[in-house]
Amino acid sequence: MPLALSLGKFYGIDSLIEILMIIVSFIISYYSNKVYRLVKNKNYRLFSFAFLAIAISFIFKILSNLTILHKVNVHVANFMLVVLTEFESMEVINFISLILYKSFYLIGFLILFLILTKTSNREKIFLFFYLSLIAILFSIYFDFIFHLTLIFILVFLTYNFFINYNERKSVNAFLVFFAFLLLSIDHLFFILEDFSPILYLIGEILSLIGFLCLLVNQIKIKNEKTNKVRSNKRYFRNIKRK
Amino acid sequence: MKKRTRLEVIRDILEILRENRQARITHLIYKSNLSNNSIKPYLNDLLENNMIEKLVEKEKKLFRITEKGNEFLEEFNKIKIFSESFGL
Repeated sequence: MPLALSLGKFYGIDSLIEILMIIVSFIISYYSNKVYRLVKNKNYRLFSFAFLAIAISFIFKILSNLTILHKVNVHVANFMLVVLTEFESMEVINFISLILYKSFYLIGFLILFLILTKTSNREKIFLFFYLSLIAILFSIYFDFIFHLTLIFILVFLTYNFFINYNERKSVNAFLVFFAFLLLSIDHLFFILEDFSPILYLIGEILSLIGFLCLLVNQIKIKNEKTNKVRSNKRYFRNIKRK
Repeated sequence: MKKRTRLEVIRDILEILRENRQARITHLIYKSNLSNNSIKPYLNDLLENNMIEKLVEKEKKLFRITEKGNEFLEEFNKIKIFSESFGL
């Protein structure tokens, strides 16, 4: 089993890309929470949690990149034995951070999926989370299961964002649709990364462009004109005095 | 005529209150183009979120916009674009 201390794949370029994704996810999460505090609509709070989970997931991914890179080849059919063998032979931090990365990342997109499908039935939500847990557990041995599960969720999200763009015909809606389209495609590259390391890099670049689209969307929103509301400060002061 | 979104209805109610300083429910119903039944959930939500406040003057129930409501009106365009871009 080859072990080597590294900054991540491609000399840490992927970790740098992930730092940008953390910043973008935090910005979206913060803004959504700000809207929630004004509107008190729970969708905005869940949306904020979703992007917070995605931001946290990338922190764990960087942590897993910073620890020891490993490649385990176990040819045993017994799943539990494989899990135990992996756990014994792997650096604990690397293992845990990778699992936490997968968990938070999947939970983030799953929450977005639940918001868009307007799923409020507790049994359904429990089932979705249970199936995600199964996917994460199996991905310990078969990494592609994690990416495949994400592709299913992301394709659905992309389709919904396309319908939204078709209705609105706005640049902002297009940026969101395009970002999620790229995020769906990049996981295809991550599935195939074992064939060539360059495919992993292509996947990371697609993720970067996707998150940059989301960043541009947020910048456009921030630069949007505020409604010029007459200064009511004196009025509110008078109310308080009364 | 295009149906107003929930956010737009809230904006309209707050705009009416901002322009009139304070208003009775009948005035809000008339100006916001809502029925008596449909305006009540909006008003309850706005009261719950502290965007408006209820007061009684000469036995008349009145509604008044708060600072938080004013803040919402200022941010409305941004919130609308954010919501629409993600289809929220």
